[in-house]
Amino acid sequence: MDVLDQLGAVREGKLSRRAFNRSLFAVGISTVMMPVLPRRALAAPEDHATWFTWGGFDIPDYFDEYVAKRGELPNFSTYGSAEEALNKLQSGFVADIAMPCMTDVPRWSETGLFQPIDTSRLSNWPDIMPDLWNVPYNLKDGKPWLVPWEWGQTSIVYRTDLFELQGEESWDMLWDQRYAGRLGMLGGGGDAWWCAAIKAGVPFDQIHTDEAFEKISAVLREQRPLIRVYSDDTTSTDTALAAGELVACMAWNSSAVSLIGQGVPVKFAKPKEGALTWVCGQMLHAQAPNLDSAYDILDSLMSEAASAALIGGSGYGGSNRKAYDRFTDDELAALGLSRNPLEILEAGHLGIPQTAEWDRRMTETWEQIKLGF
Amino acid sequence: MTHAAGQSLRVARPSALVRFLHRHEGWRGYLLMAPALLLMAAAIIFPIGMTLVMSTWSLSGYDMVATPGLGNYTAMAEHPMFRVLILRSLTIALTCTAVTVLLCYPMAYFVAFHGGRHKAMWLIVMTLPFWTSYLLRVFAWKVVLGYEGVLNTGLIGLGIVDEPIAALLYSQTAVTIVLAHSWAAFALLPIYVSLEKIDRSYLEAAADLGDGPMKRFWRITFPLSLPGVVAAFIMMFVPTVGEYITPAMVGGPDGMMIGNLIQAMFGPMNNWPAGAALAVVMMLTIGLAGLVFVVLDRLLRR
Repeated sequence: MDVLDQLGAVREGKLSRRAFNRSLFAVGISTVMMPVLPRRALAAPEDHATWFTWGGFDIPDYFDEYVAKRGELPNFSTYGSAEEALNKLQSGFVADIAMPCMTDVPRWSETGLFQPIDTSRLSNWPDIMPDLWNVPYNLKDGKPWLVPWEWGQTSIVYRTDLFELQGEESWDMLWDQRYAGRLGMLGGGGDAWWCAAIKAGVPFDQIHTDEAFEKISAVLREQRPLIRVYSDDTTSTDTALAAGELVACMAWNSSAVSLIGQGVPVKFAKPKEGALTWVCGQMLHAQAPNLDSAYDILDSLMSEAASAALIGGSGYGGSNRKAYDRFTDDELAALGLSRNPLEILEAGHLGIPQTAEWDRRMTETWEQIKLGF
Repeated sequence: MTHAAGQSLRVARPSALVRFLHRHEGWRGYLLMAPALLLMAAAIIFPIGMTLVMSTWSLSGYDMVATPGLGNYTAMAEHPMFRVLILRSLTIALTCTAVTVLLCYPMAYFVAFHGGRHKAMWLIVMTLPFWTSYLLRVFAWKVVLGYEGVLNTGLIGLGIVDEPIAALLYSQTAVTIVLAHSWAAFALLPIYVSLEKIDRSYLEAAADLGDGPMKRFWRITFPLSLPGVVAAFIMMFVPTVGEYITPAMVGGPDGMMIGNLIQAMFGPMNNWPAGAALAVVMMLTIGLAGLVFVVLDRLLRR
């Protein structure tokens, strides 16, 4: 049953069916056995906790402390919008740590899927800016549901060479008829709906009223013919902006930072109506299977190095106060950040938590509008 | 009958089960099929049944209420969105299936009639692109159709257009093009098989009786290969209607198909009963379309 003999037989056309089947059987068995044999040599991935986060954050930059302690990176899983994340978690996906935003905390904590975080286990906790987590709905018996990790803005990234500004930067830029078919929007309602509210002039404390729904829907429907793509994939929209396919797109700080870093002439707009601002962070699953590893992940994310990597690499505000000492005031201003987060967060529009019913109604309406109805 | 002295011929009476099976051929068949039937029941019939049951449920808050009702179906009948999306999906699927079958027929014809000793190699070469991941192929099409993609830079370089054609990507056209390519292997192989089965002696006879090559093709080859063409049509049409990934990636706002709405319902909208109802309606629609094809097939066989 030598392999060369078999090949020779094939060439001469003399391979019998039995011999052929025998060799197939041998190949099949060896293929099945292959993964089984070297398994002992690989480290078991189940020992590490899973970080369920926004796409783009699954990089080693934030895990210096974790790797120093445990030798390997944790497991990652990604999503494109908070609605998608909650849906996946509710249908049974158990990830040790998920990353919602502060406005999601009341809804998420009510689902019973999460547990408050024991901050005494986090060595970096004292360095976290209290402004970011010390809100009543975030605390249960003194322990926070969500440990803040990043804060930033949702605004417009636009090509300074292709987009001709008429007056000041404003949310009207994404409703500009001159650039029909060259504008982009984020696909998740968590950003798009609120920014449309800013454009429609609906104050956030009114956003739950029927009138608000009508106004915002009208504004979004008006915009739809002008939009080339609704996307949660920042890589696609960044590439499109770089190519000139899109001249303006709703985006987060990181898009501007990465495009400017590549030399594309873009600017992160400061709309006159105000940008959407948010604080996002980590929540711990109630049935987290790898609790120790999960707390190590949290600690590593809260570290100064991770926060500094966040500020320098993505342009989002980190939550560790010490990280800001590594940057000058000018550098922070250029990124649209500040040592005092509340300054920027309150200059824009900070989201207000809503009920689950509102969330469902908003998502249904938004998905319908995106489909064209 | 002779037997050795002192021994009695003993034949054990077969058990009741064996006797039963011996007499009832039907039961023998069912027992033989039992493992496959169990697998099918668990993996196909049970989930479809679950979908049907879930489509009668409704929502309250984040939870599903298990009281049966036709609320989801009436909601679908009222809102025009579902009709439009289903029609759009059927149109896109029909267009790209027709285009692919038209393009794959010559390829299959070449391999079947002029492949010679290298038929297997030709088939492998033609299906080779489909050995890669489906998602990678869609991404590759994004590169080809994109604003600064292969097609646009080529057209600009040749001077045919001044600016990149924006409608090549993020449109229904893009969805049709990508789907036409992605499922080509499913169209190619059934047509090849039916062409392969045609008895070459018919063609010889026709040639002897005076038919030229074109007449031979239209009078003999084409009608005999039609069952394969219909099979290719069905095999490509049915999965394409429910496509989700391709419209999501290259469809843009106007290229969304019914699969995207079902995904939205099971995903961000978190309305599983409505999604199940939509899935049931989609299954019935495709079933009806499939019925049309089966009737067509029967007519052609006569």
